[in-house]
Amino acid sequence: MSDEMHEGCGCEEYNALSRRRFLQTSATITAASMFPAWLPKIALANSYASNRDIIVSIFLRGGADGLVLVAPFGDPAYYAARPTIAIPRPDAATNPGVNLDGFFAFAPAMAGLAPAFAAKDLLVVHGAGIQTNDTRSHFDAQRFMEVGKPADATIFTGWLGRHLASIPPAKPAAPLRAIGVATGLQKTLVAPAGDPYYATHTLPISDPEHFTIGGSSATIAARTGLLQGNFATAEEPLKSAALDAINTVDLLKAVNFNGYKTENSAVYPTSMFGQALRSVAALIKADVGLEAAQVDADSWDMHADTGPLNGSMAQLMRDLSTAVGAFYADVIALGKYNVTVIMMSEFGRSVRENASAGTDHGRGGAMFAIGKGIAGGRVLTKNWKTLDRANLEDGQDVPVGIDYRDVLSEIVQKRLGNPNLDFVFPTWKPTTLGVTR
Amino acid sequence: MSRSSSSTDATETPDATPTARRTFVALGALAAASFIPRTARAQQGRPRKSRPTDRVEPPNVPPQPGVAPGENAAAFAEWDTGGLSRLVRRMTMGMTGADLAQANQMGWNGYLNYQLNYSRIDDSAVENWIAAHYPYLVKPTAELVLINYDDVFDQLRGASMYRAVFSKRQLFQRMVEFWTDHFNQDRNKVESLLVNDQRDVIRKYAMTTFPQLLKASAHSGSMMVYLDQNVSDAKAPNQNYAREIMELHTLGVDGGYTQNDVAELSRVLTGWTVDHDGDFAYNPSLHDTKDKVVLGTTIKGQSGAAGQQEGEAVLDLLVNHPSTARFIATKMLKWMVTPTPTVAQISGIAAVYRATGGDIKAMLRAMLNEQWVSQAPMKLKRPFHYAVSALRSLNPSVTSTKPVDEGLMQLLGHEAYVWDTPDGYPDKIDYWAGSILPRWQCATTLSQFQSSATIAVDTAPYRAGSPAAAVDLIDHNFFGGEMPVTFRTALLSYAGTTTLTDAKVRELLALAISSNAFHWY
Repeated sequence: MSDEMHEGCGCEEYNALSRRRFLQTSATITAASMFPAWLPKIALANSYASNRDIIVSIFLRGGADGLVLVAPFGDPAYYAARPTIAIPRPDAATNPGVNLDGFFAFAPAMAGLAPAFAAKDLLVVHGAGIQTNDTRSHFDAQRFMEVGKPADATIFTGWLGRHLASIPPAKPAAPLRAIGVATGLQKTLVAPAGDPYYATHTLPISDPEHFTIGGSSATIAARTGLLQGNFATAEEPLKSAALDAINTVDLLKAVNFNGYKTENSAVYPTSMFGQALRSVAALIKADVGLEAAQVDADSWDMHADTGPLNGSMAQLMRDLSTAVGAFYADVIALGKYNVTVIMMSEFGRSVRENASAGTDHGRGGAMFAIGKGIAGGRVLTKNWKTLDRANLEDGQDVPVGIDYRDVLSEIVQKRLGNPNLDFVFPTWKPTTLGVTR
Repeated sequence: MSRSSSSTDATETPDATPTARRTFVALGALAAASFIPRTARAQQGRPRKSRPTDRVEPPNVPPQPGVAPGENAAAFAEWDTGGLSRLVRRMTMGMTGADLAQANQMGWNGYLNYQLNYSRIDDSAVENWIAAHYPYLVKPTAELVLINYDDVFDQLRGASMYRAVFSKRQLFQRMVEFWTDHFNQDRNKVESLLVNDQRDVIRKYAMTTFPQLLKASAHSGSMMVYLDQNVSDAKAPNQNYAREIMELHTLGVDGGYTQNDVAELSRVLTGWTVDHDGDFAYNPSLHDTKDKVVLGTTIKGQSGAAGQQEGEAVLDLLVNHPSTARFIATKMLKWMVTPTPTVAQISGIAAVYRATGGDIKAMLRAMLNEQWVSQAPMKLKRPFHYAVSALRSLNPSVTSTKPVDEGLMQLLGHEAYVWDTPDGYPDKIDYWAGSILPRWQCATTLSQFQSSATIAVDTAPYRAGSPAAAVDLIDHNFFGGEMPVTFRTALLSYAGTTTLTDAKVRELLALAISSNAFHWY
């Protein structure tokens, strides 16, 4: 690809980049073959908000049981369907749920998120999922959500990657616009091949504190410098990638992860997930131009012995809610940084518990959005009915009342300042739900 | 530019024809400017014996370089001799000095024939090692399903890595990688069945004919499961396999089939499923016995065991379809020769497919001609190729490649058999180029291996002489003697003049693997 497209992509430069030039350049890098024909063109950038939010996207992999995370304690059918793994009512003597709105309650292990909910900064969306496809395969459902267009085998870029590719960088020349806290880049962040519009500068970094070429610290500068010189004459796109990587190494070296001091007395758990969010917080406060982070929380696929109160799911929820609660206190609660957090899973689980005190792959689940710009403090549902068999999808699952794309579309448009919704969620016609303030 | 040997600088007339010259001139200035002189010089530099009289001509195609504006053809010329070394790069999982020496001895067609006739290459050392270390890989499905699937999988990818690194049948390994992506499956869905698919489909038929390969794949229990053919029946035909066999395996997405063909083929294939163990089986009770029309051909509905013949007939339709010839020719050209094959190149190789009944060796022989390969732009190694090539050059003693198979390949985003969609890992530079730091980290990790339980890189040969001699040896092992001059200067400077330590050698090795030139082939 040409050098022009790697020039600083600040607003001024952007405005000079005419549509005609974009089309010409893209033709030479075979963008036509990389972009499915149906992908719409991107709008001009004049209207982009300058003080948009940073987004932290958390994927609960494995199909988290939404009826454990956020239990409909006001529905007797819930307790009938789950004789051994229901969350007790908020007025129960032991292990009471955390009352949210008189009908739904957090599992006790989700209490770490209660302050955000009480401050009306946390929105629960229940019965959320994929409306246009009823797959119950992890494999398919995760992919469908991450790419932002279900059941299309031709698309392998992610919705967040396309968001970054269709909006100018918040900080011109930022070497790291987005980070996937993972060893390999999550699909959510995969950008259109060749970054034909804006360079998305996205890297998978499992441990931002140790992001270097490795080896002896005594010689690392000399070796990195040698490579920098060596790649200065490399062919594109490798040259730009190499320079980006070296700039990111320098950038992360300058961030004080080790001595990072939280605000608001926040304490992150020492788990990998907790430390991942702590690193993201440090990056956000270092003000290096980070716009998006994708963090995964694994192992929610509990077909047996769910253990919502003291068992394995309780443990997972405690880690999740403590870590996200700490992030909320540290980064969001004081209103000093513009950040939105979203949490979702590929599907919810069957309403009735199975013979092994677990649940199987289902449909509608719980989704969360947190931020000062989120219309929180409530549980948003659509056509939520009691969990009697007749009301369930295929007689077994919570129906998907709200498509995940409706939640994300509003956040992309209102909080991330990107009007290119048909590029981020192709062919989806979003319904505004009032997710944002 | 460094030459492998100055003694080859003979004064032979370049064999590029005037026609070829004119075509070069007609090229876009971008590609041509730095391209022509290098090619011409390289051709002058080859000894006579490397151009035997029986050289394979391009299949009746006017010479056209497979270079589009913006493609990176020029960079090749910065650091290679433009001749035989390019063929070795294309045909191996990483060119070492030994590979290049062997090719120089055999000449272009000698080396090509040597690798094409892979079954005549004695690979018993590698196969004996695999048999001793990975006994699960010869077991039938019924036994495999009883074994912890993570253990089975460790052996499968371990064998794949070991063969790619150490097998002398390097072109064969390249084709195994190619077909593995072409008939991609996700191990998370098919689990241990993948062993059979790799063994009895991909490796068995990788260099036979495409019809044989396609039919073997269509009779693979693993493929049935991966593309949901095993949950299809007459009442509710699942279209997944019917679609992908046309879109991804044979005709290509623009190959001229319709959604109606997908629906009809899904009915034809009802009954194609797996048995209790996961082996392929035909179950007549699931079959739709009514007539169908696929690609304009009426498939007479049949019941009982004969119902399977409907599907067999469609497989014949598919492998004999002109779109399949073009689709396979295009994809193989992109893999072996150039990311941007010309229309003429595609037509030429498709013609070979049609003339030979889809003979994979014949197609390879036709496309790996001196003209096309010498004019092709360089390609970025995908991470698997990159890691394998590093190991080939490091030539370590290996007890287990697990740290590479698992941690490093995850780091590089190219772990074996986990690409979830049926299109397989992309072979596109734009997909891979962004993730360069993991490659440098990988280079550091590989160079530091010194475990007798896994991988041990011996630095002694590099410490036997002066630092300059060590750089020469690196040049030989990692670049076939074609290390770019500027990098050599930088590496010599880094090496210094005092006796090299083990640690310093490992740093030099990591720098060599990290350097720009080592990422391309």
